[in-house]
Amino acid sequence: MAAKKQTDLIGVATGPSEQQALAIYRELKELAGRPDLAPCAARGVRKALACMWNVVNDLDLEFEQLYDLGV
Amino acid sequence: MPSDGYHSTPYWNPRNETMPREDLARLQLVKLRRLCEFAYEKTPFHRRRFDAVKFKPDQLKALDDIRRLPVMTREEWVESQTEHPLFGDLIATDPADAIRYHLTSGSTGRQPLRALDGLKDWEWISEMWAYGIWAFGVRPADIVYFAFGYGSFIGFWGAHYACEKIGALVVPGGAQSTRARIEQIMTLGVTTVFSTPTYALRLWQEAADMGIDLARDSRVDKVIVSGEPAGSIPAMKRQLENGWGAKCGDTAGMTEIGTIFTFECAAQPGGTHIIEDHMYEEVVDPKTDGPSNYGDLGERIVTSFGRGFIPLIRYRSGDIVMRVPHSNCTCGRTFDIYDGGIRGRWDDMKLVRGTNVYLRAVESIIREYDAIDEFQVYLWREGNIRDEISVRLELKPDRQSEWEGLRERLGRDLSHSHEGLRFNIELMPPGALPRFELKAKRLVDVRFESSAPGGR
Repeated sequence: MAAKKQTDLIGVATGPSEQQALAIYRELKELAGRPDLAPCAARGVRKALACMWNVVNDLDLEFEQLYDLGV
Repeated sequence: MPSDGYHSTPYWNPRNETMPREDLARLQLVKLRRLCEFAYEKTPFHRRRFDAVKFKPDQLKALDDIRRLPVMTREEWVESQTEHPLFGDLIATDPADAIRYHLTSGSTGRQPLRALDGLKDWEWISEMWAYGIWAFGVRPADIVYFAFGYGSFIGFWGAHYACEKIGALVVPGGAQSTRARIEQIMTLGVTTVFSTPTYALRLWQEAADMGIDLARDSRVDKVIVSGEPAGSIPAMKRQLENGWGAKCGDTAGMTEIGTIFTFECAAQPGGTHIIEDHMYEEVVDPKTDGPSNYGDLGERIVTSFGRGFIPLIRYRSGDIVMRVPHSNCTCGRTFDIYDGGIRGRWDDMKLVRGTNVYLRAVESIIREYDAIDEFQVYLWREGNIRDEISVRLELKPDRQSEWEGLRERLGRDLSHSHEGLRFNIELMPPGALPRFELKAKRLVDVRFESSAPGGR
Protein backbone atom coordinates (compact mmCIF):
# COMPACT_ATOMS: atom_id res chain seq x y z
CA MET A 1 0.00 0.00 0.00
CA ALA A 2 1.35 3.46 -0.90
CA ALA A 3 2.31 5.72 2.00
CA LYS A 4 -0.18 8.49 2.67
CA LYS A 5 0.97 11.74 1.06
CA GLN A 6 1.94 14.36 3.61
CA THR A 7 0.24 17.72 3.20
CA ASP A 8 0.22 21.12 4.85
CA LEU A 9 -2.68 22.94 6.50
CA ILE A 10 -4.36 23.70 3.18
CA GLY A 11 -3.77 20.33 1.59
CA VAL A 12 -0.66 21.05 -0.47
CA ALA A 13 1.91 18.24 -0.61
CA THR A 14 4.97 18.91 1.53
CA GLY A 15 8.59 18.49 0.45
CA PRO A 16 11.54 16.91 2.27
CA SER A 17 12.69 20.05 4.12
CA GLU A 18 9.14 20.76 5.32
CA GLN A 19 8.72 17.18 6.51
CA GLN A 20 12.03 17.41 8.34
CA ALA A 21 11.01 20.68 10.02
CA LEU A 22 7.72 19.16 11.14
CA ALA A 23 9.47 16.05 12.47
CA ILE A 24 11.90 18.16 14.51
CA TYR A 25 9.00 20.19 15.88
CA ARG A 26 7.19 17.04 16.96
CA GLU A 27 10.35 15.65 18.56
CA LEU A 28 10.84 18.87 20.49
CA LYS A 29 7.24 18.68 21.72
CA GLU A 30 7.80 15.17 22.92
CA LEU A 31 11.05 16.12 24.59
CA ALA A 32 9.50 19.16 26.27
CA GLY A 33 6.91 16.88 27.83
CA ARG A 34 9.49 14.68 29.54
CA PRO A 35 9.65 15.12 33.32
CA ASP A 36 13.28 14.06 33.68
CA LEU A 37 15.03 17.00 32.06
CA ALA A 38 17.48 19.18 33.95
CA PRO A 39 16.53 22.86 34.16
CA CYS A 40 19.09 23.77 31.50
CA ALA A 41 17.58 21.21 29.13
CA ALA A 42 13.93 21.82 30.03
CA ARG A 43 14.12 25.53 29.38
CA GLY A 44 16.41 25.26 26.37
CA VAL A 45 14.13 22.72 24.72
CA ARG A 46 11.14 24.98 25.33
CA LYS A 47 12.97 27.92 23.81
CA ALA A 48 13.86 25.81 20.78
CA LEU A 49 10.28 24.57 20.56
CA ALA A 50 8.99 28.16 20.52
CA CYS A 51 11.30 28.88 17.58
CA MET A 52 10.21 25.75 15.73
CA TRP A 53 6.57 26.58 16.42
CA ASN A 54 7.17 29.73 14.41
CA VAL A 55 8.78 27.79 11.59
CA VAL A 56 5.94 25.28 11.21
CA ASN A 57 3.38 28.06 11.62
CA ASP A 58 5.03 30.22 8.93
CA LEU A 59 5.33 27.25 6.58
CA ASP A 60 1.66 26.33 7.18
CA LEU A 61 2.59 22.89 8.52
CA GLU A 62 0.96 23.13 11.93
CA PHE A 63 -1.00 25.69 13.91
CA GLU A 64 -1.73 25.00 17.54
CA GLN A 65 -1.11 26.41 21.03
CA LEU A 66 1.62 25.09 23.34
CA TYR A 67 0.72 26.49 26.74
CA ASP A 68 0.18 22.98 28.14
CA LEU A 69 3.92 22.53 27.64
CA GLY A 70 4.74 25.91 29.17
CA VAL A 71 5.67 27.37 25.79
CA MET B 1 29.46 27.75 6.16
CA PRO B 2 25.89 27.32 4.85
CA SER B 3 24.78 29.24 1.79
CA ASP B 4 23.31 32.67 2.44
CA GLY B 5 21.30 32.65 -0.76
CA TYR B 6 18.16 33.55 1.12
CA HIS B 7 19.48 37.10 1.66
CA SER B 8 18.51 38.02 -1.88
CA THR B 9 14.78 37.32 -1.62
CA PRO B 10 12.66 40.35 -0.79
CA TYR B 11 10.23 38.17 1.16
CA TRP B 12 10.70 36.91 4.71
CA ASN B 13 8.20 34.12 4.03
CA PRO B 14 8.13 33.84 0.21
CA ARG B 15 5.45 31.15 0.06
CA ASN B 16 2.83 32.98 2.10
CA GLU B 17 3.66 36.52 1.03
CA THR B 18 3.04 35.61 -2.62
CA MET B 19 0.31 33.02 -2.07
CA PRO B 20 -2.80 33.19 -4.30
CA ARG B 21 -5.55 34.91 -2.38
CA GLU B 22 -7.89 31.94 -2.49
CA ASP B 23 -5.21 29.86 -0.73
CA LEU B 24 -4.63 32.66 1.73
CA ALA B 25 -8.33 32.65 2.59
CA ARG B 26 -8.27 28.88 3.11
CA LEU B 27 -5.28 29.21 5.40
CA GLN B 28 -6.98 32.00 7.36
CA LEU B 29 -10.07 29.85 7.81
CA VAL B 30 -8.07 26.93 9.22
CA LYS B 31 -6.29 29.21 11.67
CA LEU B 32 -9.43 31.14 12.58
CA ARG B 33 -11.36 27.97 13.37
CA ARG B 34 -8.54 26.57 15.52
CA LEU B 35 -8.10 29.85 17.35
CA CYS B 36 -11.83 30.10 18.06
CA GLU B 37 -11.97 26.49 19.29
CA PHE B 38 -9.04 27.19 21.60
CA ALA B 39 -10.48 30.48 22.89
CA TYR B 40 -13.90 28.95 23.44
CA GLU B 41 -12.44 26.08 25.42
CA LYS B 42 -9.92 28.06 27.47
CA THR B 43 -11.39 31.49 28.21
CA PRO B 44 -14.68 32.27 29.94
CA PHE B 45 -14.62 35.67 28.24
CA HIS B 46 -14.76 34.28 24.72
CA ARG B 47 -17.10 31.42 25.62
CA ARG B 48 -19.62 33.98 26.92
CA ARG B 49 -19.35 35.97 23.69
CA PHE B 50 -19.95 32.90 21.52
CA ASP B 51 -22.76 31.59 23.71
CA ALA B 52 -24.50 34.97 23.78
CA VAL B 53 -25.14 34.70 20.04
CA LYS B 54 -25.66 30.92 20.04
CA PHE B 55 -22.63 30.36 17.86
CA LYS B 56 -20.07 27.58 18.20
CA PRO B 57 -16.59 27.54 16.66
CA ASP B 58 -17.40 24.34 14.75
CA GLN B 59 -20.08 26.31 12.87
CA LEU B 60 -17.33 28.38 11.29
CA LYS B 61 -17.44 27.13 7.70
CA ALA B 62 -16.39 30.32 5.90
CA LEU B 63 -14.48 33.44 6.92
CA ASP B 64 -17.62 35.56 6.76
CA ASP B 65 -19.23 33.35 9.42
CA ILE B 66 -17.09 35.10 12.02
CA ARG B 67 -19.32 38.14 11.51
CA ARG B 68 -21.95 36.35 13.58
CA LEU B 69 -19.77 37.23 16.55
CA PRO B 70 -20.15 40.86 17.68
CA VAL B 71 -17.01 42.98 17.69
CA MET B 72 -15.00 42.89 20.89
CA THR B 73 -14.35 46.28 22.47
CA ARG B 74 -11.63 47.72 24.60
CA GLU B 75 -14.28 48.51 27.21
CA GLU B 76 -15.15 44.81 27.50
CA TRP B 77 -11.50 44.01 28.06
CA VAL B 78 -11.18 46.73 30.73
CA GLU B 79 -14.35 45.50 32.43
CA SER B 80 -12.97 41.97 32.47
CA GLN B 81 -9.76 43.25 34.09
CA THR B 82 -11.76 45.15 36.70
CA GLU B 83 -13.97 42.19 37.55
CA HIS B 84 -11.13 39.66 37.48
CA PRO B 85 -7.97 41.52 38.49
CA LEU B 86 -5.30 41.80 37.25
CA PHE B 87 -5.63 40.31 33.79
CA GLY B 88 -9.32 39.56 33.31
CA ASP B 89 -10.90 36.30 32.27
CA LEU B 90 -9.78 36.41 28.67
CA ILE B 91 -6.37 34.92 29.37
CA ALA B 92 -6.19 31.34 28.15
CA THR B 93 -3.70 29.84 30.58
CA ASP B 94 -2.14 30.25 34.00
CA PRO B 95 -0.47 33.69 34.38
CA ALA B 96 2.48 31.78 35.84
CA ASP B 97 3.22 30.55 32.29
CA ALA B 98 3.85 34.10 31.11
CA ILE B 99 7.32 35.44 30.47
CA ARG B 100 6.47 39.09 29.79
CA TYR B 101 4.15 41.84 30.91
CA HIS B 102 3.34 44.97 28.91
CA LEU B 103 0.61 47.54 28.99
CA THR B 104 -0.98 49.90 26.51
CA SER B 105 0.31 53.43 26.30
CA GLY B 106 -3.15 54.77 27.16
CA SER B 107 -2.97 57.22 24.28
CA THR B 108 -6.71 57.71 24.42
CA GLY B 109 -6.49 58.73 28.08
CA ARG B 110 -8.19 55.68 29.47
CA GLN B 111 -7.24 52.83 31.78
CA PRO B 112 -4.32 50.91 30.28
CA LEU B 113 -4.77 47.30 29.21
CA ARG B 114 -2.50 44.70 30.76
CA ALA B 115 -1.06 42.04 28.50
CA LEU B 116 0.77 38.81 29.24
CA ASP B 117 2.63 36.61 26.79
CA GLY B 118 4.27 33.21 26.76
CA LEU B 119 7.49 31.99 25.16
CA LYS B 120 6.06 31.23 21.75
CA ASP B 121 4.00 34.44 21.74
CA TRP B 122 7.21 36.44 21.91
CA GLU B 123 8.72 34.43 19.10
CA TRP B 124 5.63 35.28 17.08
CA ILE B 125 5.69 38.96 18.06
CA SER B 126 9.23 39.31 16.74
CA GLU B 127 8.32 37.21 13.71
CA MET B 128 5.70 39.74 12.61
CA TRP B 129 8.30 42.49 12.83
CA ALA B 130 10.67 40.30 10.82
CA TYR B 131 8.13 40.18 7.97
CA GLY B 132 8.02 43.96 7.91
CA ILE B 133 11.64 44.93 8.33
CA TRP B 134 12.97 42.26 5.98
CA ALA B 135 10.52 43.62 3.39
CA PHE B 136 11.98 47.10 3.87
CA GLY B 137 15.49 45.80 3.34
CA VAL B 138 17.02 45.06 6.75
CA ARG B 139 19.64 42.33 6.34
CA PRO B 140 22.29 40.64 8.51
CA ALA B 141 24.93 43.20 7.47
CA ASP B 142 22.89 46.10 8.89
CA ILE B 143 23.76 47.96 12.07
CA VAL B 144 20.45 48.85 13.64
CA TYR B 145 19.80 51.56 16.20
CA PHE B 146 16.75 51.68 18.47
CA ALA B 147 15.92 55.19 19.65
CA PHE B 148 13.60 53.73 22.22
CA GLY B 149 13.37 53.76 26.02
CA TYR B 150 12.72 50.01 26.57
CA GLY B 151 9.95 50.35 29.15
CA SER B 152 6.55 48.79 29.82
CA PHE B 153 5.14 50.23 26.60
CA ILE B 154 5.65 47.52 23.99
CA GLY B 155 7.00 49.94 21.35
CA PHE B 156 9.98 48.50 19.49
CA TRP B 157 10.68 45.51 21.75
CA GLY B 158 9.51 43.09 19.06
CA ALA B 159 11.52 44.87 16.39
CA HIS B 160 14.64 44.56 18.52
CA TYR B 161 14.26 40.77 18.69
CA ALA B 162 13.36 40.61 15.01
CA CYS B 163 16.61 42.33 14.08
CA GLU B 164 18.54 39.85 16.23
CA LYS B 165 16.64 37.03 14.51
CA ILE B 166 17.57 38.42 11.10
CA GLY B 167 21.17 38.58 12.21
CA ALA B 168 21.70 42.34 12.18
CA LEU B 169 23.88 44.05 14.78
CA VAL B 170 21.50 45.65 17.28
CA VAL B 171 22.33 48.81 19.22
CA PRO B 172 19.77 49.44 21.98
CA GLY B 173 19.54 53.22 22.36
CA GLY B 174 17.90 53.01 25.79
CA ALA B 175 17.57 55.92 28.16
CA GLN B 176 20.01 58.57 27.06
CA SER B 177 19.94 62.04 25.63
CA THR B 178 19.15 62.77 22.00
CA ARG B 179 22.66 64.12 21.56
CA ALA B 180 24.22 60.93 22.96
CA ARG B 181 22.08 58.86 20.61
CA ILE B 182 23.26 60.84 17.59
CA GLU B 183 26.86 60.38 18.67
CA GLN B 184 26.30 56.60 18.82
CA ILE B 185 24.63 56.56 15.41
CA MET B 186 27.62 58.36 13.92
CA THR B 187 30.37 56.50 15.81
CA LEU B 188 29.03 53.01 15.16
CA GLY B 189 28.19 53.57 11.50
CA VAL B 190 24.52 52.78 12.02
CA THR B 191 22.64 51.94 8.80
CA THR B 192 19.06 51.61 10.10
CA VAL B 193 17.23 53.65 12.74
CA PHE B 194 13.98 52.70 14.47
CA SER B 195 11.99 55.53 16.00
CA THR B 196 8.64 57.25 16.08
CA PRO B 197 8.28 59.68 13.16
CA THR B 198 8.25 62.61 15.53
CA TYR B 199 11.42 61.55 17.26
CA ALA B 200 13.19 60.78 14.00
CA LEU B 201 12.56 64.40 13.06
CA ARG B 202 13.87 65.54 16.41
CA LEU B 203 17.03 63.46 16.01
CA TRP B 204 17.63 65.09 12.64
CA GLN B 205 17.09 68.60 14.05
CA GLU B 206 19.35 67.94 17.03
CA ALA B 207 22.03 66.58 14.68
CA ALA B 208 21.81 69.78 12.65
CA ASP B 209 22.31 71.78 15.86
CA MET B 210 25.43 69.69 16.47
CA GLY B 211 26.71 70.57 13.01
CA ILE B 212 26.01 67.10 11.61
CA ASP B 213 24.25 66.67 8.30
CA LEU B 214 22.81 63.17 8.67
CA ALA B 215 22.09 62.88 4.93
CA ARG B 216 25.71 63.63 4.10
CA ASP B 217 27.66 62.44 7.13
CA SER B 218 25.86 59.29 8.37
CA ARG B 219 25.59 55.79 6.90
CA VAL B 220 21.88 55.57 7.68
CA ASP B 221 19.92 54.46 4.62
CA LYS B 222 16.71 53.24 6.30
CA VAL B 223 14.56 54.94 8.94
CA ILE B 224 11.77 52.65 10.11
CA VAL B 225 9.00 54.35 12.02
CA SER B 226 6.04 53.25 14.09
CA GLY B 227 3.76 54.44 16.86
CA GLU B 228 2.07 57.38 15.13
CA PRO B 229 0.01 57.77 11.96
CA ALA B 230 2.48 60.41 10.74
CA GLY B 231 4.76 57.74 9.24
CA SER B 232 2.61 57.58 6.13
CA ILE B 233 1.89 61.30 5.81
CA PRO B 234 3.65 62.17 2.53
CA ALA B 235 5.05 65.52 3.68
CA MET B 236 6.38 64.02 6.92
CA LYS B 237 7.93 61.13 5.04
CA ARG B 238 9.50 63.56 2.58
CA GLN B 239 10.99 65.62 5.41
CA LEU B 240 12.44 62.52 7.03
CA GLU B 241 13.81 61.10 3.79
CA ASN B 242 15.42 64.40 2.82
CA GLY B 243 16.73 65.08 6.31
CA TRP B 244 18.25 61.65 6.82
CA GLY B 245 19.12 60.95 3.19
CA ALA B 246 17.43 57.59 3.74
CA LYS B 247 14.27 55.71 2.84
CA CYS B 248 11.57 56.01 5.47
CA GLY B 249 9.36 52.96 6.01
CA ASP B 250 6.14 52.96 7.97
CA THR B 251 4.81 50.19 10.21
CA ALA B 252 1.84 50.02 12.57
CA GLY B 253 1.13 47.82 15.52
CA MET B 254 -0.83 47.71 18.74
CA THR B 255 -0.15 46.44 22.25
CA GLU B 256 -3.41 44.51 22.13
CA ILE B 257 -1.82 42.06 19.69
CA GLY B 258 1.73 42.72 20.84
CA THR B 259 3.21 43.50 17.46
CA ILE B 260 2.77 45.04 14.04
CA PHE B 261 0.02 44.00 11.65
CA THR B 262 1.06 46.07 8.66
CA PHE B 263 4.30 47.23 7.05
CA GLU B 264 5.62 49.25 4.15
CA CYS B 265 7.72 47.25 1.69
CA ALA B 266 10.74 48.53 -0.23
CA ALA B 267 8.55 49.36 -3.25
CA GLN B 268 6.84 52.03 -1.08
CA PRO B 269 3.37 51.86 -2.66
CA GLY B 270 1.96 54.73 -0.58
CA GLY B 271 0.59 52.34 2.00
CA THR B 272 1.33 49.32 4.13
CA HIS B 273 0.79 45.60 3.47
CA ILE B 274 -1.35 43.66 5.95
CA ILE B 275 0.29 40.50 7.35
CA GLU B 276 -2.62 38.38 6.25
CA ASP B 277 -1.27 34.90 6.93
CA HIS B 278 -1.11 35.76 10.65
CA MET B 279 -4.12 38.08 11.02
CA TYR B 280 -7.63 38.31 9.78
CA GLU B 281 -8.38 41.99 9.25
CA GLU B 282 -11.84 43.31 8.48
CA VAL B 283 -12.69 46.90 7.59
CA VAL B 284 -16.16 47.99 8.64
CA ASP B 285 -18.37 51.03 8.70
CA PRO B 286 -17.97 52.11 12.35
CA LYS B 287 -21.63 53.13 12.59
CA THR B 288 -23.18 49.91 11.31
CA ASP B 289 -20.30 47.43 11.63
CA GLY B 290 -21.19 46.37 8.08
CA PRO B 291 -18.30 45.49 5.76
CA SER B 292 -16.58 48.25 3.81
CA ASN B 293 -15.47 47.92 0.21
CA TYR B 294 -12.01 48.46 -1.23
CA GLY B 295 -11.38 52.20 -1.30
CA ASP B 296 -13.83 53.08 1.48
CA LEU B 297 -12.67 54.63 4.72
CA GLY B 298 -13.57 52.34 7.60
CA GLU B 299 -12.51 50.97 10.94
CA ARG B 300 -10.09 48.06 11.37
CA ILE B 301 -11.35 44.99 13.17
CA VAL B 302 -8.53 42.59 13.98
CA THR B 303 -8.28 38.91 14.77
CA SER B 304 -4.75 37.87 15.63
CA PHE B 305 -3.84 34.22 15.14
CA GLY B 306 -0.47 34.26 16.85
CA ARG B 307 -0.96 35.53 20.36
CA GLY B 308 -2.78 32.77 22.20
CA PHE B 309 -2.22 33.87 25.79
CA ILE B 310 -4.80 36.58 25.24
CA PRO B 311 -6.82 35.51 22.19
CA LEU B 312 -8.15 38.50 20.30
CA ILE B 313 -11.13 37.80 18.06
CA ARG B 314 -12.84 40.60 16.13
CA TYR B 315 -11.31 43.36 18.21
CA ARG B 316 -12.42 46.91 17.43
CA SER B 317 -9.21 48.86 16.91
CA GLY B 318 -10.46 52.42 16.49
CA ASP B 319 -8.03 52.84 13.58
CA ILE B 320 -9.21 54.59 10.42
CA VAL B 321 -8.02 52.76 7.30
CA MET B 322 -8.68 52.47 3.59
CA ARG B 323 -8.06 48.97 2.27
CA VAL B 324 -6.99 48.56 -1.35
CA PRO B 325 -5.96 45.47 -3.34
CA HIS B 326 -2.42 44.09 -3.21
CA SER B 327 -2.13 44.82 -6.94
CA ASN B 328 -1.64 48.51 -6.07
CA CYS B 329 1.95 47.54 -5.25
CA THR B 330 4.61 46.19 -7.60
CA CYS B 331 6.45 44.12 -4.99
CA GLY B 332 4.68 40.85 -5.80
CA ARG B 333 3.11 40.35 -2.38
CA THR B 334 -0.49 39.23 -2.40
CA PHE B 335 -1.15 40.85 0.97
CA ASP B 336 -3.65 43.70 0.64
CA ILE B 337 -2.68 47.26 1.50
CA TYR B 338 -3.85 49.97 3.85
CA ASP B 339 -3.55 52.93 1.54
CA GLY B 340 -1.89 55.78 3.44
CA GLY B 341 -1.20 53.46 6.40
CA ILE B 342 -3.22 54.17 9.52
CA ARG B 343 -5.07 57.38 8.76
CA GLY B 344 -5.91 58.23 12.34
CA ARG B 345 -8.33 57.13 14.99
CA TRP B 346 -12.07 57.52 15.06
CA ASP B 347 -11.80 58.86 18.59
CA ASP B 348 -9.40 61.56 17.33
CA MET B 349 -12.26 63.11 15.40
CA LYS B 350 -13.39 66.40 16.92
CA LEU B 351 -16.51 68.33 16.05
CA VAL B 352 -15.80 72.06 15.86
CA ARG B 353 -18.72 74.32 14.96
CA GLY B 354 -20.30 71.49 12.95
CA THR B 355 -17.15 70.49 11.09
CA ASN B 356 -15.31 67.19 11.60
CA VAL B 357 -11.65 67.75 12.35
CA TYR B 358 -9.15 64.88 12.33
CA LEU B 359 -5.73 65.47 13.83
CA ARG B 360 -3.99 63.58 11.06
CA ALA B 361 -5.68 65.67 8.36
CA VAL B 362 -4.49 68.83 10.13
CA GLU B 363 -1.01 67.37 10.55
CA SER B 364 -0.86 66.44 6.85
CA ILE B 365 -1.25 70.11 5.97
CA ILE B 366 1.09 71.42 8.66
CA ARG B 367 3.85 69.04 7.53
CA GLU B 368 3.82 70.68 4.12
CA TYR B 369 5.48 73.68 5.79
CA ASP B 370 9.04 72.71 6.56
CA ALA B 371 9.67 75.93 8.51
CA ILE B 372 7.47 74.53 11.29
CA ASP B 373 9.42 72.89 14.08
CA GLU B 374 6.61 71.69 16.38
CA PHE B 375 2.88 72.19 16.69
CA GLN B 376 -0.16 71.60 18.86
CA VAL B 377 -3.85 71.67 18.03
CA TYR B 378 -5.70 73.39 20.85
CA LEU B 379 -9.48 73.33 21.20
CA TRP B 380 -11.12 75.79 23.54
CA ARG B 381 -14.39 77.57 24.11
CA GLU B 382 -14.81 81.30 23.71
CA GLY B 383 -16.98 82.71 26.50
CA ASN B 384 -18.29 79.21 27.17
CA ILE B 385 -20.33 79.53 23.98
CA ARG B 386 -18.34 79.16 20.78
CA ASP B 387 -15.85 76.40 20.01
CA GLU B 388 -12.50 77.63 18.75
CA ILE B 389 -9.59 75.78 17.22
CA SER B 390 -6.05 77.06 17.40
CA VAL B 391 -2.91 75.70 15.84
CA ARG B 392 0.05 76.63 17.99
CA LEU B 393 3.34 76.63 16.16
CA GLU B 394 7.02 76.88 16.81
CA LEU B 395 9.14 77.81 13.83
CA LYS B 396 12.68 76.60 13.28
CA PRO B 397 15.17 79.11 14.71
CA ASP B 398 16.48 80.17 11.30
CA ARG B 399 12.99 80.48 9.75
CA GLN B 400 11.35 82.96 12.17
CA SER B 401 11.18 85.66 9.51
CA GLU B 402 8.66 83.58 7.53
CA TRP B 403 6.00 83.88 10.22
CA GLU B 404 3.64 86.49 8.71
CA GLY B 405 3.35 84.87 5.31
CA LEU B 406 3.20 81.38 6.75
CA ARG B 407 0.40 82.31 9.15
CA GLU B 408 -1.76 83.58 6.33
CA ARG B 409 -1.10 80.65 3.97
CA LEU B 410 -1.48 77.95 6.61
CA GLY B 411 -4.71 79.47 7.93
CA ARG B 412 -6.08 79.52 4.40
CA ASP B 413 -5.00 75.93 3.63
CA LEU B 414 -6.52 74.58 6.84
CA SER B 415 -9.75 76.49 6.31
CA HIS B 416 -10.10 75.33 2.69
CA SER B 417 -9.74 71.70 3.70
CA HIS B 418 -12.26 72.03 6.56
CA GLU B 419 -15.36 73.49 4.94
CA GLY B 420 -14.28 77.07 5.64
CA LEU B 421 -13.70 76.54 9.37
CA ARG B 422 -11.50 79.33 10.73
CA PHE B 423 -8.30 78.21 12.44
CA ASN B 424 -6.43 80.56 14.77
CA ILE B 425 -2.72 80.32 14.01
CA GLU B 426 -0.50 81.23 16.96
CA LEU B 427 3.28 81.55 17.17
CA MET B 428 4.83 80.10 20.32
CA PRO B 429 8.31 80.86 21.65
CA PRO B 430 11.00 78.24 20.89
CA GLY B 431 10.76 75.27 23.27
CA ALA B 432 7.29 76.18 24.58
CA LEU B 433 5.51 73.15 23.12
CA PRO B 434 6.07 69.63 24.43
CA ARG B 435 8.35 67.21 22.57
CA PHE B 436 7.72 63.49 22.35
CA GLU B 437 9.84 60.37 22.11
CA LEU B 438 7.00 57.87 22.03
CA LYS B 439 3.44 58.53 20.99
CA ALA B 440 3.00 62.23 20.39
CA LYS B 441 0.00 63.95 21.96
CA ARG B 442 -0.55 67.06 19.88
CA LEU B 443 -4.27 67.43 20.36
CA VAL B 444 -5.40 69.27 23.49
CA ASP B 445 -9.12 69.74 24.04
CA VAL B 446 -10.09 71.89 27.03
CA ARG B 447 -13.60 72.79 25.87
CA PHE B 448 -15.28 70.79 28.57
CA GLU B 449 -12.95 71.51 31.47
CA SER B 450 -14.61 73.64 34.13
CA SER B 451 -11.19 74.72 35.33
CA ALA B 452 -10.50 76.33 31.99
CA PRO B 453 -13.02 79.16 31.66
CA GLY B 454 -12.84 80.49 28.19
CA GLY B 455 -10.52 77.65 27.46
CA ARG B 456 -7.39 79.78 27.82
